[in-house]
Amino acid sequence: MENAEKQKSEERVETPNLKGTLLSVLLLGVFIIVSWFGVFALFLSR
Amino acid sequence: MIATKLGISKSDSKLTMAFIYVAFISLFIGGLMGLLQTLVRSGSLSLPWGITYYQVLTVHGVILGLVLTTFFIIGFQYALMAKTVGISKKQRLYAWLSFIVMLIGTVMAAVMVLLGKASVLYTFYAPLQAHPIFYFGLALVIIGSWIACFVNFRQLYVWKKTHKDEKSPLLAFMVVINMVLWFIATLGVAAAVIVQFIPWSLGYAETINVLVSRTLFWYFGHPLVYFWLLPAYMAWYAIIPKIIGGKIFSDSLARLSFVLFLLFSIPVGFHHQLTEPGIDPTWKFIQVVLTFMVIIPSLMTAFSMFAMFEITGRRKGFRGLFGWFKHLPWKDVRFFAPMVGMLAFIPAGTGGIINASHQLNNVIHNTMWVTGHFHLTVATTVLLTFFGISYWLIPHLTGRKLTKKINNLGLIQTVIWAVGMTIMSGSMHISGLLGAPRRSAFSEYGGTAQASDWIGYQIAQAVGGTILFIGILLMVYIFLQLTFFAPKGQEEFPIAEEEVNAQPTPLFLENWKLWIGITIGLILFAYTIPFIDIILHAPTGSEPFAWPIGNS
Repeated sequence: MENAEKQKSEERVETPNLKGTLLSVLLLGVFIIVSWFGVFALFLSR
Repeated sequence: MIATKLGISKSDSKLTMAFIYVAFISLFIGGLMGLLQTLVRSGSLSLPWGITYYQVLTVHGVILGLVLTTFFIIGFQYALMAKTVGISKKQRLYAWLSFIVMLIGTVMAAVMVLLGKASVLYTFYAPLQAHPIFYFGLALVIIGSWIACFVNFRQLYVWKKTHKDEKSPLLAFMVVINMVLWFIATLGVAAAVIVQFIPWSLGYAETINVLVSRTLFWYFGHPLVYFWLLPAYMAWYAIIPKIIGGKIFSDSLARLSFVLFLLFSIPVGFHHQLTEPGIDPTWKFIQVVLTFMVIIPSLMTAFSMFAMFEITGRRKGFRGLFGWFKHLPWKDVRFFAPMVGMLAFIPAGTGGIINASHQLNNVIHNTMWVTGHFHLTVATTVLLTFFGISYWLIPHLTGRKLTKKINNLGLIQTVIWAVGMTIMSGSMHISGLLGAPRRSAFSEYGGTAQASDWIGYQIAQAVGGTILFIGILLMVYIFLQLTFFAPKGQEEFPIAEEEVNAQPTPLFLENWKLWIGITIGLILFAYTIPFIDIILHAPTGSEPFAWPIGNS
């Protein structure tokens, strides 16, 4: 039981920290959406 | 069993270098033509000796978009296959045959273009008609590349026979995916060239079905983009991690993304034909939806790259939200050049999503935006990655060293490229949004008021183009150094490994019958009905246009 818990906590420690990746892909998503709507606005205005 | 030794032998080096020589000669000629174009369009140069703008434009597009890329990719892939699964003597012989056939085809097409007998631009759209030798040349390039496909297929097949129950090396898997994609895609353009263009250019057929030819071209033309991109992705997924001192983020994710590229990059050609009359809008819509599916593996790749960088950086002890980013090996050109290419893919990929959206396509269709778009994708993302590969591959093959001096020159080259391209492609994008047309020799358009809005951007393109040409000269210098003059030594062939505790890769990812079956199924679904419709309701075919551009 104890061993199993220890293993679990080790697994937790092994989980990589990907906060920077999360923020990077979110920024990427925002860039795509803003650009897309920018050109869409141009389409609507013409 | 045929014995194949892993690694790059002298004979393998010669083979890959043969392809790379052609690629770099093409870079120089094609780049010079690009410079001339920007100077003509900015109004600062008139071409001498009766050379026409469209002649120069065709040389630029064909030699950079088709020759440089195809030769570099096939040469690079032969090196990857020799390194990971080996190559037998017989296979190497066939590999040389592929090179010779492709080279003969290239020379035939190039001579016709240079003589002004094939000023049909790299899309060779009907009804523009070139000299028949141009089409025969193209056919030979395709046939040569098919030989390369089957050599690569055979290489993996032979390896598999001796490594039952083992997953194939990641890079070999990726090469085979790319060549399956290429083979299936080129069937379309080969059909157009052999069945339509050659009989028509020889005078056996009086007219040509323009829409069929364009549809067959774009059936090939879009996966062509992925044929360029996937070798860059090979380097990003499986080589860059080694260069930065990390591991492959996920073997399974990399393989799945390549499979998805195979499935969704072919049945999508209609998004290049959104303004084309004669294609049912429903099928355009369906192919646009399929196009958007390609965003999934692209974003998987973006996520995977960020994650690989972050995990590597944090392992090295760099903390904070972006400490890992700051401490990437920015001074190593083998990393820096492809990394700038990756960053360029953010606006390049976004532009692609815009192009494929029907309403937005109406804003930018046939404008300079499109030219700016593919100068970001193929001429920055792909090309900078190919340069990044060259910095270690060429010295590895020639038995020389990438010295600190050449490394620093490479860093300067990459910065020059980034600056030149930002100016050139940026101004192309903006002038495109303002309506400036592409593929025209004119800059003032008879003095209309609207054209005066564009001229400033055309001058900016000439400035950017000049900076890029300086970048090309520097890259050719670096190529000559790495090939003939750098000090003798050994340069590493960097191939990354998986994490020790990586999850096993599911076997179904290597189920070729399944993936090729779905690919064919999707193609039949997306093309059969609209293609029959196009043929049944075709207007009268067109007679050839050989003048003012074409074959005159």
